[in-house]
Amino acid sequence: MSHTILGKDAYWMNMWGLMILTAIEVGAVGIDLSRSTTLLILIGIGIPKFLMIAGIFMHLTGDKDSRILTVTALFPTVFILIMVIFIGLTHPDATTALPAICRPGYYGL
Amino acid sequence: MSIGFGAFLFSFANLFVFGDIADTSDITGALLGICVGFVFIGIGLSIWWRQDLSFDGSYEPKAVGAPFKNIDIRKVAMWVFLWSEMMIFSSLFSTYIRYRVGLPKCENLYNDLVASGELVSGTAYTCYEPASQLIAASWWHLAPGAINTFALILSSFTVVQALRYAKMPDLDEEVRRKKIYRYLACTTMLACLFLTLKMVEWFIGFNVFGHEIPSLVSEGYTIHAANYQPHWAHGGDFMANIRVSASIFFVTTGTHGIHVLAGVIGLLYLTLKAYRGGFNPDNAVTIEYFGLYWHFVDLVWVLVFPFFYLF
Repeated sequence: MSHTILGKDAYWMNMWGLMILTAIEVGAVGIDLSRSTTLLILIGIGIPKFLMIAGIFMHLTGDKDSRILTVTALFPTVFILIMVIFIGLTHPDATTALPAICRPGYYGL
Repeated sequence: MSIGFGAFLFSFANLFVFGDIADTSDITGALLGICVGFVFIGIGLSIWWRQDLSFDGSYEPKAVGAPFKNIDIRKVAMWVFLWSEMMIFSSLFSTYIRYRVGLPKCENLYNDLVASGELVSGTAYTCYEPASQLIAASWWHLAPGAINTFALILSSFTVVQALRYAKMPDLDEEVRRKKIYRYLACTTMLACLFLTLKMVEWFIGFNVFGHEIPSLVSEGYTIHAANYQPHWAHGGDFMANIRVSASIFFVTTGTHGIHVLAGVIGLLYLTLKAYRGGFNPDNAVTIEYFGLYWHFVDLVWVLVFPFFYLF
């Protein structure tokens, strides 16, 4: 893999990037924000952190076998999505609490 | 080793009867099963390590068929193992999402009951009380979890550094040996710090600079808390049955903790091997494969921390 980011060692930069993102994450909880904003911040920070660990520390980018291993790593995503979607569907309010565009009748059907 | 884990887990579960340890007369079989499980795990580990200890990198089998052609078989196997791990944690996260969304949040329920005048004293209401209500209530409460997050990130860095020096060609062998075992020893210490802080957070609590921070258990946040009195209710009549939310928290973070513990066992072995000068560029893949596992543990924590500790 490429061993530099912005001219610095990739692992070193990745570690500091993760540290800074974690500090922001913790700091965001201390600020008096609405729950949805906090959730957005946590997800917004969690995704890049996830990608940084998987991509750089786990070598899913840059190595000669990265592509096939990334596909391998993504394989369970299908099952994870099915699991999460079906959990959503088993929610007691699933049929009534969905946005109107997701409900039968919205498109005149 | 799988048989050992199976025997151990099945027997360990039989030690308990919903939150309590079963009668001593009933646990003999369970204790025996636990011992058998440990013996099988020990045999499996010793065979595994005996093979690896003498591994000099001269024969690393490669996959011959598509799609993994020419990739080390052990590397592919490690990724397949990580699939199964992903499924385990996905099921735990799915459970979390299901109940977090499905059950009313205790604070909201309390406010609704007070507003409508329907709060009945002495009744325990089933609701979802996230551990973050306690943990994120103050910086001191949050400190162990936050330090643990930094520790895991740092440990991921120390593992890749160990791998880097193990793979580095043209490096003096003594320098290589010292670099690798020191980085691995750092990783081990960080992992131990993680587990220690986890115990402090769950069971012990702490007192620093006049701030007395009780543990989750002493706050009453336990898996059999049927009459939990949330601190935000300010000593009112409200009681909550939080068995579901506490169980999800302890099972998920506990499963992650078990993975850290397994990592510590692996790290102790790797550190010992490194101390004996057992790694060189040809057999550094052992650190690489362990590193994949360790980064995965870090990856899971990246999701556990915000959703179980902060939100």
